[in-house]
Amino acid sequence: MIRKLIPLMLAPLWLAAEDWPQFRGPHHDGISREKNWLTNWPEEGPKRLWEAQVGIGFSSVVVADGRVYTLGHTKGKDVLHCLDAGTGRALWKHEWASDLGAKFYIGGPGSTPTVHEGRIYVAGKWGEVLCLAAKDGQVDVVWKRHLAKEEKVRVPTWGFNGSPLVLGDRLLLNAGAAGVALDLKTGKTLWKSADGEAGYATPLPVPLGGQPHVIVSSGRAYAAVRVADGREAWSLRWFTRYGVNAADAIVDGDQVFVGSGYRKGCGLYKIGAELTEVWKNKNLSTQMNAAVKLGDYLYGFDGDSGGPGKLRCVSWKTGEVAWEHATGFGALTAADGRLLVLTGAGALMTAPATPKGFTPTGRARVLDKDCWTAPVLANGLLYCRNSKGHLVCLDLRRGQ
Amino acid sequence: MQSTRRRFLKTSAAATAASFAAMPLLAAPGKKYRTAIIGAGWWGMNILRDAIAHGQCKVVGICDVSEQTREVSAEEVTDLNGDQPRKYNDFREMLGKEKPEIVIIATPDHWHALPAIAAIEAGAHVFLEKPTAHTVEESRAILNAARAANRVVQVGLHRRIGPHHVEAMKFLKSGKVGKIGQVRLFVTGGGGKEEPTPNSPAPVGLDWDFWCGPAPKQPFNRRLHPGGWRNFLDYANGTLGDWGVHWLDQVTWWSDEKYPKRVFSSGGRPVRGAAVNDGHAMTSDAPDSQVAVYDYEEFTVTWEHRRFAMNNSEHHRYGAYFYGTEGILHIGWRDGWTFYPAKKNGQKAHGDPRFDNEKDGHNLPPLWADFMKAIVEKNHTPAADIEPAHRSSVLPMLGMISYRLGRSLQWDGAKEQILNDKEANHLLRRDYRKPWVYPKV
Repeated sequence: MIRKLIPLMLAPLWLAAEDWPQFRGPHHDGISREKNWLTNWPEEGPKRLWEAQVGIGFSSVVVADGRVYTLGHTKGKDVLHCLDAGTGRALWKHEWASDLGAKFYIGGPGSTPTVHEGRIYVAGKWGEVLCLAAKDGQVDVVWKRHLAKEEKVRVPTWGFNGSPLVLGDRLLLNAGAAGVALDLKTGKTLWKSADGEAGYATPLPVPLGGQPHVIVSSGRAYAAVRVADGREAWSLRWFTRYGVNAADAIVDGDQVFVGSGYRKGCGLYKIGAELTEVWKNKNLSTQMNAAVKLGDYLYGFDGDSGGPGKLRCVSWKTGEVAWEHATGFGALTAADGRLLVLTGAGALMTAPATPKGFTPTGRARVLDKDCWTAPVLANGLLYCRNSKGHLVCLDLRRGQ
Repeated sequence: MQSTRRRFLKTSAAATAASFAAMPLLAAPGKKYRTAIIGAGWWGMNILRDAIAHGQCKVVGICDVSEQTREVSAEEVTDLNGDQPRKYNDFREMLGKEKPEIVIIATPDHWHALPAIAAIEAGAHVFLEKPTAHTVEESRAILNAARAANRVVQVGLHRRIGPHHVEAMKFLKSGKVGKIGQVRLFVTGGGGKEEPTPNSPAPVGLDWDFWCGPAPKQPFNRRLHPGGWRNFLDYANGTLGDWGVHWLDQVTWWSDEKYPKRVFSSGGRPVRGAAVNDGHAMTSDAPDSQVAVYDYEEFTVTWEHRRFAMNNSEHHRYGAYFYGTEGILHIGWRDGWTFYPAKKNGQKAHGDPRFDNEKDGHNLPPLWADFMKAIVEKNHTPAADIEPAHRSSVLPMLGMISYRLGRSLQWDGAKEQILNDKEANHLLRRDYRKPWVYPKV
């Protein structure tokens, strides 16, 4: 209980503060419910509260109970870092030997830890799955699994990059053709899907016919499978070059949006016994990070890392581009009707999310390249990292 | 969906119109050539997209031993111009069924000769990716087949047509650099020690046996595929065979001398570390650092490739220096070309690059247009014709033979034989894995 108060004590003027315990946030949509944060910055940017080096990788941060967690690779090891959210002080870490996996990129872990009821769940790059509990700086491994070694699950070309999802009594992972479910308490395998290469997205919870399902990407499809037993409800054929289906699907009502890079494009589908296409085009090829949906519009990055990526606003209903901005590749999050954009080159911008155009009220260079990881806003603090593991915490609380 | 499709078609029609405007010399407008591709990955699709944009291709076949790749590539073609190519795992089946008039080949080096020769013998003109082949006699067999069947074979040496290369070559041939006595070719890169990657089952839908084809069958390793094969000597010739052939080809393009008399190369893996292939895990096995010397009658060419601490210690990081009595000409990549005069008051000269594709920094569209021109106009020799491209491609292959044997080679370029060295001559070819048969020269 005391821990829960820490962020509030740090931010006395803070009213709508919220933890961010899993990838894409508490609502799985990349949108924070925080309000009333600083949207105008001086030229040098918002106040830098602290900085840390967390190692190579693309893991975003999660924030829970005054602690920040993220993954990074340092000298042959993947490391789970636990830092104090207010000061950046290293509280503890847990590490294991791991290949950097630098194939055509810098490498390192790409998944984000998940915090649930005081436990930390980690999906490692090569099939490791860990459940950890920490108390007074002491870390206990509650259970650990290795999906590649123990379940013979195939490791996709760039390793596993989807984050673990806690749903009820189980942990859902993007592994195999359409996911794997482990018992949350013991790590025991509850079910696993057919042999296949996983995609790189995080399982997305979605109710179908009154039963919990998750949408899981493979190298060739986005499929909805029942959480209870892995039974497939529907599957959308979605072949993408190199099998890189990395962006999480976006669901609104009975419609689902998917998008992938490498010129694949995107589409909106109506969910029924089968999926029916509403529209499909090349307007939002989200290579790694999913877009965010605000109102009737999607906001996201079209194009591939290393190419002329664009920030785009695309109509949910028609797929038409409302506007685009030549930012290069990047990642974003949203809060209080605004976008928080981090470009690949390390420029942070915030602007109202509106189909009328992109008009930043604050911008600053906050990191060196390459930033492919979406910024995270939690309890008034904004966390941005780059691929080399430079993590900065920016203070967006008003009245500080 | 309807409106989306119409938009795609409109866009590609506009692109077609634009490329026609840029190509007034093309005869037979409106003729669409039945076009197929073998190897439809990253680079193959770069070529095919430019071929489609040029406007004279009807894409009838996509061949790739990865189901993933052929599905994605066929879908992309349909999105680009509405063509509905059929998909094949085996190039022989595709050539038999589709009877293409043009075949693009963008497979790894060990899979160049057999598809190229089969395509030529099936009557197709071929756009063949560089280098021409993996071993010398394969390359010669492609050249002979092309001449015997009177087919156009354009090799993907786009640095023969890229505007800044053309400008630099004009400058060089004008005599402004003086008499050239030495040429230095180089690329530099970064990176560190290479840790072995565990072997793993081949991805679903990848025909790994066919991928290895005539070359030795290694266990699948994600370092090899997709995209890593250039640094595995069973399938390619490392950086010398990749970057090296582009820069060596600048020498072939410039020089009146057709081939070097003597070749020596040395190198190793001081940065990456010893190669590993122990049945469980693999590293690459190509040298990370290598030098090669090519002695011609009138000049000496050196090649240098290294991976030590990439930084800005040197002005240029890639390219060719032509050392002349009047100055030094550098031909580079993204840094264009630059002439550094010998005389203090001499006139420095420079040209920026003008790429058709900024991201990948290349000039494939004019190379494709030139290929089409050679198909239409019988007396037009393509810019990167198989004959000089063969001579350029042989140079890295000879360098690798010297590297493997640790001695210099006396090269009789007219007979394409290494003098007084039976062991080295044996390496001008290789034994194919059954059932594949090495092409006859």
